[in-house]
Amino acid sequence: MILGLGNPILSDDGVGNRVAQELEAKLAQRQDVTVVESSLSGLSLIDLLAGYDKAIIVDAIQTAEGNVGQIYRLTSDAFNNTRHVSSPHDVNFATALELGNKLGIAMPKQIVIYAIEVDDVSTFGEEFTPKVKEAIPECVKTIIKELNGNHHA
Amino acid sequence: MASCKATDAVYHVELPPAGKKLRELFYCSHMVHSHIACFYALAAPDFVMGPTSDPAQRNILGVISKVGLQVGGEVIKHRAYAQSIQAAIAGKATHPVGGVPGGMSKPITEEQRKDFEEKAKSCVEFSKFSLKLFNDVVLSNKDYLNIITGNVYTMKSYYMGLVDSKNKVNFYEGEVRVVDPDGKEVVKFKPSQYLEYIAEHTEPWTYLKFPFLKKVGWKGFTEGKDSGVYRVSPLARLNAADGMATPLAQAEYEKMYKTLGGKPVHATLVFHWARLVELLYASERLLELCQDKEITDPKVRTVPTAIPDEGVGIVEAPRGTLIHHYQTDKNGIVTKVNLIVATAHNYPAMQMSIKKAAQGLIKKGTAASEGLLNMVEMAFRAYDPCMACATHTLPGQMPLEIVIYDSKGEVKERLSRNLVGSN
Repeated sequence: MILGLGNPILSDDGVGNRVAQELEAKLAQRQDVTVVESSLSGLSLIDLLAGYDKAIIVDAIQTAEGNVGQIYRLTSDAFNNTRHVSSPHDVNFATALELGNKLGIAMPKQIVIYAIEVDDVSTFGEEFTPKVKEAIPECVKTIIKELNGNHHA
Repeated sequence: MASCKATDAVYHVELPPAGKKLRELFYCSHMVHSHIACFYALAAPDFVMGPTSDPAQRNILGVISKVGLQVGGEVIKHRAYAQSIQAAIAGKATHPVGGVPGGMSKPITEEQRKDFEEKAKSCVEFSKFSLKLFNDVVLSNKDYLNIITGNVYTMKSYYMGLVDSKNKVNFYEGEVRVVDPDGKEVVKFKPSQYLEYIAEHTEPWTYLKFPFLKKVGWKGFTEGKDSGVYRVSPLARLNAADGMATPLAQAEYEKMYKTLGGKPVHATLVFHWARLVELLYASERLLELCQDKEITDPKVRTVPTAIPDEGVGIVEAPRGTLIHHYQTDKNGIVTKVNLIVATAHNYPAMQMSIKKAAQGLIKKGTAASEGLLNMVEMAFRAYDPCMACATHTLPGQMPLEIVIYDSKGEVKERLSRNLVGSN
């Protein structure tokens, strides 16, 4: 599964959704890949990811030192800080994954996250800031290469 | 749903009966999954694992390890049931797209109705189980009961909630009822009248405003009858109403108040118990609506014909009363919006609850610890707050700091977690 996450009406926050939309168009002929875009998080991710062998998740990220437009390839270990809640009314990504595994739900054996460093996640809008917009086709190309087995760690 | 109702009011359109019922069915599903997640992910860890237990265990994973994997499976299953009902009716569970001015975009089929009915029956059983779990794990533990009913987590305020024509809790429609700290009704108003009864105070140190009861007035961060501070929430709804509209939930409502010595209850941690009573009500009401003869009627919308101008929509969100107020031009383009979300209504009370918990828990000779931070945080989390909704920011973690001063005002100790850019 390719899962694009984000809020499509909060400017750069929707970059995961846009990447998923573009991948869906390019991968329409592939029977072995399902592309989904969603605004869900926490426990709801268990429902989305269940039953797939591998998942590629695409989302926006903001880091202390990153450059806007930078694309990171991460694994789920990168989010394995504490299992405390990070939002007052949901569990975090690591907790949701571990819960799914613990409950014997068929969670993906491999999860890769493509995170794009973004600038503006607080302005209502459906457009991206320039460097984020430029990163979208690059991210799409990289994910297709990964699907074709051409990823180099 | 508040947006849908505000838009109905803007267009001065009445829904057909099936449209109203379908919206309420959808909305009860929403309450089911939200209340399940809130209880099991956010509240249960404190009581099942213990409020001062290791944070690595004090989460839904710890709860599952203690109560059993099967319970975890049931949590996920029933959340998925409720969300699947929402998605079938309105396209998506989160950011649904099925609401239109005057009703819903499409009816449901008999096949869907049957599917929803089976899921609703299962939700009723799971709700009953959840209340039993709460009774066995929390209420039967004297220490936990003392924490819940203790003065540290108690605050006397007014309470607000939507009620039907018989003053029973209703999430989707009705009038807004306010009771005082003694439980006496002080006002009941229609959504369009909200500005006559609610005003907002501001402070320079926060973006979020502090709603208060206009006729009582803003008296600062104080509790009691003379203060205009009020609360919304599952407990507020139960305090403001005369009962629940479904039989099993009504029995649990009566049991709750009997256990706690009558109405109203001011103990903030009882929000979690009230949430489970509401989970049962939402499930029962969901089932009732699934079995209603009109629910598959194809007429689910009245197309508006009036010139749009202004309207207010109020629903009970999982966290409390939610107000949407729109003004539009004659083409229906929005020109002004006012939203008062549950977290905003509760903002004054949250400040006071946190302060009271900190002052009540930190005594001379008490070591400051992570467990202490958590017990203070419990006063905040009981409100199931969404600061992101209230202020449109999401820091990505839950920053918390406790500063302990001596009698001369000098900092003796500072305990903090997840602060960004702190000194």
